[in-house]
Amino acid sequence: MLMERLILIAMWLFGFVAFILFIPRKEWRKGFLAFLMFQAVIWLCDMPSFQFELLSAPVREFPKATDLPLTIDYFFYPVLFSIFYVKKREKGRPWSRISSFFVWISVITLLDVVIERYTGLLEYKLLTWYGMWIYMGFLFYVSQVLCNWFFKEKSLFQAEWWGHNED
Amino acid sequence: MRIEWWIILSVYAVSTGILLFIPKNKIRLAVVAFLFNQIVTFLIGLVVVEWGLLEYPVRCFASINRASFTFEYYAFPTVCAAFNVWYPSNRSIFIQLGYYAGFCSVMTIGEVIIEKYTNLIKYLHWEWYISWVSICLTLFIVRLLCVWFFAKGKV
Repeated sequence: MLMERLILIAMWLFGFVAFILFIPRKEWRKGFLAFLMFQAVIWLCDMPSFQFELLSAPVREFPKATDLPLTIDYFFYPVLFSIFYVKKREKGRPWSRISSFFVWISVITLLDVVIERYTGLLEYKLLTWYGMWIYMGFLFYVSQVLCNWFFKEKSLFQAEWWGHNED
Repeated sequence: MRIEWWIILSVYAVSTGILLFIPKNKIRLAVVAFLFNQIVTFLIGLVVVEWGLLEYPVRCFASINRASFTFEYYAFPTVCAAFNVWYPSNRSIFIQLGYYAGFCSVMTIGEVIIEKYTNLIKYLHWEWYISWVSICLTLFIVRLLCVWFFAKGKV
């Protein structure tokens, strides 16, 4: 129990520090939007995953209110995704972009598997490690597509706001 | 089918309808308001259920989630998106305050009626004015965030 709690605290601390350190201040909006987007996608996908017992979270923050792991779904993975999204090179060769995507999801899957094996924070039931890898790839891909749509035209989203205020 | 499930279905239908009415040129504002509202509401929603202040006897994903997925993930974010899209930012402060009060009151009245006549929500240690204040605060926080997010020129 104590180790799990320490890991959760470490996730919050590391998440905050990583967001501030790795995302330049002028990209905070981009990082924040990526965070929000991933958070929405992972909640939506984790609800049925937990309902159908693909995995479970025996040790969690709100044991009474929800069976989902709050820190991981709500904060830690979204932060990791936002760093991935801000850091990814847009102009690199397709090969380097694809490989960086797979390195990211593989490392996060590895982290997830380690958490599953050595702590009570997660427990795979029907899910296997390669299932998690595919699931993580799916979450990252969907979130990335949604974020790319949002930032499709760089200056557009601010123009929308100002158009709205000048109505 | 019980009345509760018809209400949940119609909440999804009405929310989707509201989202479809959002003008295309304000869709990004709506997205930011929607998503940011989700994280605020989700956290508060879980906390109040954990503390036993509220209860949602009939709900989606019932076996794993004791909070209201429908309200926290979809209905309230939709209302918040609409709130921000049609916000009267050039009008006087009284109209803006009235706009807040109108949204909070309509939502609170809806919630009180649902509480009273259906099994969708039960107040355990809760009052209607706590709903009113928390809805108002949430709308305000999300509004602040949207103003920051779309601020021109500033870092």
